[in-house]
Amino acid sequence: MCDLFALSASHHFTAATSLPLFAVRGRKNVHGWGIGFFRQRLPVVEKSGDQVFADGRLHVSFQRLARVVNSPIILAHIRYKSSGEVDDCHAHPFVLDFWGQSWIFAHNGKAPAIELYASPNTPGLEATSDSARAFEFLRDFFLNAVPRRPHTPFVAILQEALILLLQRYPGEYNLLLSNGQVIWAFTNHRQFLMLKGSEKLEDALLLTTIEEGLSSENWQRMAAREGSLGLLLLIAGGDLVLMEDLLP
Amino acid sequence: MCELFAMSAGYHYTAQEYLPLFADKARDNMSGWGIGFFREGQVHIEKSCEGIYAGGHVHDSFQRLARVIGSRIIISHIRCPKSGHEAESSAQPLTDFFLDHHWLFSFTGEAPNCHAYESPRPLMRDRLVAARVFEFVRDGMAEQQAAWPENSLYQALAVTCKKLLRQYPGEYAFFMANETVLFAFLNHGEILTYHPPGAPGESIVLTTVEGGLTRDPGFWHAYPNENLDHGQILIISGADLLYLGHV
Repeated sequence: MCDLFALSASHHFTAATSLPLFAVRGRKNVHGWGIGFFRQRLPVVEKSGDQVFADGRLHVSFQRLARVVNSPIILAHIRYKSSGEVDDCHAHPFVLDFWGQSWIFAHNGKAPAIELYASPNTPGLEATSDSARAFEFLRDFFLNAVPRRPHTPFVAILQEALILLLQRYPGEYNLLLSNGQVIWAFTNHRQFLMLKGSEKLEDALLLTTIEEGLSSENWQRMAAREGSLGLLLLIAGGDLVLMEDLLP
Repeated sequence: MCELFAMSAGYHYTAQEYLPLFADKARDNMSGWGIGFFREGQVHIEKSCEGIYAGGHVHDSFQRLARVIGSRIIISHIRCPKSGHEAESSAQPLTDFFLDHHWLFSFTGEAPNCHAYESPRPLMRDRLVAARVFEFVRDGMAEQQAAWPENSLYQALAVTCKKLLRQYPGEYAFFMANETVLFAFLNHGEILTYHPPGAPGESIVLTTVEGGLTRDPGFWHAYPNENLDHGQILIISGADLLYLGHV
């Protein structure tokens, strides 16, 4: 199963400590890695189909990027293939534009039903995987919702999109979605672990799907409650701003 | 009644198109003004006890500041003469540091009972309702986060606003922001939002000024609230209204 990582702060941070730990603790994911962030308003993604951890060592480029990437929001993904090929193109995160902004997306979970989704919009993502199709599905939903923008909060549209996604294409979805200002996180399987104010890692808000967290500190486990379709989080700056169950 | 203005954008923006319109539309409030914004995580506030509009012109400093200030979030307040305050120190926005952030706060409304609130950490001695409301909200959120650190900022604010309405019934509308997120609360009147047509992903403008600020009222969307026992909280970050919750 792939794993996800996010750092969010109100000012620029590097994840020089937590990103390598994320890669080490998620080293069973052997099918690629990626790091995404924003420079000014433009998304930047560096990714690879190589193993993030091999022969007892972290991938050199991953290590270097972990030291150098400096941004208020950093997303990372390490991949264990459940859909699609093993190459740079299928590694996460992915980037698409909608809602007048560029978005970075990373997904963890199996959702084979959505592999058949054919987006009516361009551009499409080159990757042939459930994750790529799920991102296109969300993009397409938001494109159709543009006329509602002036009077509909973003969360209402995202909730509708997720409910439709789960109805039409049931599956496991842990996902991160960021426009460089906020991070939306959704989980309907496994969990997210969150830590604020770490004394051992970066003093930002850290989020991961790694079950034991990335340090021996008090990571808060967040998972969908019974009866809900999933759990939706909104993160801005170094704060958890909103946490809501996705209800049918 | 005092009037409120806020602008939120994904990146540093000036509100030079909208702040002068705000001043013009709120020109009856001749008793002082303030503009607050963020620079590298720090709060900056420029305020004055002079009228916002005199001799057919918007206050010179206000106009210049409107052109120059660039920030992801800008909050402005124009004070009503009925507020009974003349000192510059009691002009808004107000600021304080709590929950790991510098916050800007500006308020309009009538809640005389709120003067009875005694904070363990008073912001100022002035008999200013806005200060008491800010203290109440700050203390309440800090208490909530200390007791339930796993809860979200929204949950802390919603619980606190509910308490505010129960303990000190009145008319409240306020904007409260740190460097990345803006909360708007109201239980009376309305807050209007505006996405500049042609660039909806760039910024969002909010105001309490009736009808909005521009000549295209159709682009303004109103969030009215008539029942004083219940309120609404809007969460804004970047160019978007992210959430609308009912308290």
